[in-house]
Amino acid sequence: MDAAPPRLPLLGGWAVVGAVFAYFLYQNMPSWVVGDDYDFLDEFPVLWVAIAAVIGFAAVLSVSYWQWRRTEFRLGDDTVYLRQGIVTRQQRQARLDRLQAVDVVQPLLARVFGFAALSIQVAGGEDSSVELKFLRLGDAEALRNEILYLAAGLKRERQNQQDPQAPGEEGAHVAPASSLRDLRAHLGERAEALGRPEDILRGTETARTAIAAAVEREVYKVPTGRLVVSTLLSGPALLVIALPIVAGIAVLFFHLDIVEAVGAIVGTSLVAMLGALGALFSFFWTRLNGGFGFTAGISEDGLRLRHGLMETRRQTVPPGRVQAIRLHQPLLWRWTDWWRVTINVAGYGEDSESVSVLHPVATRQEALTAVWLVLPDLGDPDPHGTLGYAMHGTGDEGGFLTSPPAARRVDPWQWRFRGVRATERALLIRRGRWEKELFVVPHERTQSLGLSQGPILRALGLANVEVHSTSGPVTPIAAHLSQEDAFALLDAQAARARAGRRRQTPEQWMAAVGLDDAVVADA
Amino acid sequence: MTWYTNADAPWTHVSRRLITARLITLWIWMAPLVIAGLVITALSSEPWFLALTGAGLALGAWFSWIVVRQVTVHAWAEGEEDLLVRRGRMFRSVTVVPYGRMQYVDVKAGPLDRALGLATVQLHTASPGTDASIAGVPAEEAARLRDRLTTRGEARLAGL
Repeated sequence: MDAAPPRLPLLGGWAVVGAVFAYFLYQNMPSWVVGDDYDFLDEFPVLWVAIAAVIGFAAVLSVSYWQWRRTEFRLGDDTVYLRQGIVTRQQRQARLDRLQAVDVVQPLLARVFGFAALSIQVAGGEDSSVELKFLRLGDAEALRNEILYLAAGLKRERQNQQDPQAPGEEGAHVAPASSLRDLRAHLGERAEALGRPEDILRGTETARTAIAAAVEREVYKVPTGRLVVSTLLSGPALLVIALPIVAGIAVLFFHLDIVEAVGAIVGTSLVAMLGALGALFSFFWTRLNGGFGFTAGISEDGLRLRHGLMETRRQTVPPGRVQAIRLHQPLLWRWTDWWRVTINVAGYGEDSESVSVLHPVATRQEALTAVWLVLPDLGDPDPHGTLGYAMHGTGDEGGFLTSPPAARRVDPWQWRFRGVRATERALLIRRGRWEKELFVVPHERTQSLGLSQGPILRALGLANVEVHSTSGPVTPIAAHLSQEDAFALLDAQAARARAGRRRQTPEQWMAAVGLDDAVVADA
Repeated sequence: MTWYTNADAPWTHVSRRLITARLITLWIWMAPLVIAGLVITALSSEPWFLALTGAGLALGAWFSWIVVRQVTVHAWAEGEEDLLVRRGRMFRSVTVVPYGRMQYVDVKAGPLDRALGLATVQLHTASPGTDASIAGVPAEEAARLRDRLTTRGEARLAGL
């Protein structure tokens, strides 16, 4: 038993540091920025401010320490229990068979001290996740593995497993789990050894796990160079580059006084410009921070994504949890044929930049691989060819259903580029002439379907078909189909979704394997 | 070509009492405009303010016509596996919700709805895009519909 490290709650104390920093910044700013006539803050000497800051810091520290003390966590066979709160006590139970994803998140400061937060996503609307802040990194990973193990439906194996292998320290990434059965034995052993999770959160006991994680195979990794170039090839970056050029031309040709011009612009719209700069900066920052060192792998527990520069995030998305995929190619990425792949996972919600990315900048081959990661069987004899048509095709080549010529009136440029095609397992929706977009929705993940038509489309005999997915960055819609095609597609898609639901993989993904075993035994 | 009709199940139209309910709500909003025009005209003896009354009446009449058109087309159909909801004349839409995807059912009735014996039945799936609310279902029918939907949902329950 080792005592809980007291620096733990400090991880949330950034705000106070920021305030102090802001004060000193203010103090040392040249007077022309602030103005001379406003010296409210100058009346307070630095010493007093420092004392106030210390008191504030101590308050934040003690409150978060108290909060942390009042947080309890328990892992049942099929449920996660969380109890927290000082004034209002909150109890939360999350069913593990509804588990959608488990993330190990390390903000910068937590990383420095070797801590991590565990974020457990269960299906259930907004704000339904269970967040554990903060655990030792090793403990967080052990808990994640335990949760995934239980969620996979392996708990029955626990009692009757025979020869547990000797627990080894951190041997997991190279664990020679030659067969599934070996792996399960490992998992069972580990689960037995895990002990009481609430002690882990309290820091009074270290997780004594034998195995760190299911064996993982790396599938792709994003080179930093490509990430940077792709960010530079984005619209906002071009804006930043183009502005000085435009300004330069303006000065040269119209003989403007540059200082005067800049002064006028800054003077009139300083706030707006600062806002725009902030938005630009945050765009680049989230792109680079989120995509840095992006690695995707596949394991028994499903997809594993690792990424992040300052804040690192290790995501595990079990099989069958990806609801829809979007492949997007911005205009400037056409030269390099790069694609950005985003996914819908129930529970992740709208937070698309940091969590819902499957590949921040994929080559064409990697984009196909990314789709394959989610849908190993596209249900098509020639998946690469079909996806190729879906990414770059026009008209009805490759068996795509396209918009009729009447759509030209509302959609003059891309009507020939729109296309819909259903394979046996998924619906592909394509659009875009210059900026391209492709949606892939597995039939068994279709939540509901919509058909819609406004007055203009009605006059042209067109209609839209919408596939409703869980909340996220992917909203698949097949627009401007001919009315007959849209009706037929709606009926056919409802039937396909029905068939898809029948062969849907169980929520407990490893339980499917157990089922097969039983069938084999019966035969 | 006519609008979508499913082969699977017949459409059930919502109660025409929904027209009454919606018209009452509409005219509660429109009445102040009409009355304000009349009162100001009476007080200021400027006939121009009658335009306000006229506008209120015209808008109200137009919206009333829309309400009637909308309610008469609003319908649902209980298929073998899916619930279908149809709405709108100008902006037409059909939503197909599989029973197995249903997460929960809401039955709501405001004071006006209750006075007229109506209720709104809404199906929720895991998708925020699913817009499957049926307004103006007769109250007893709403309870039965909810029970039927729940039973079918349980029988065909699928994960996410």
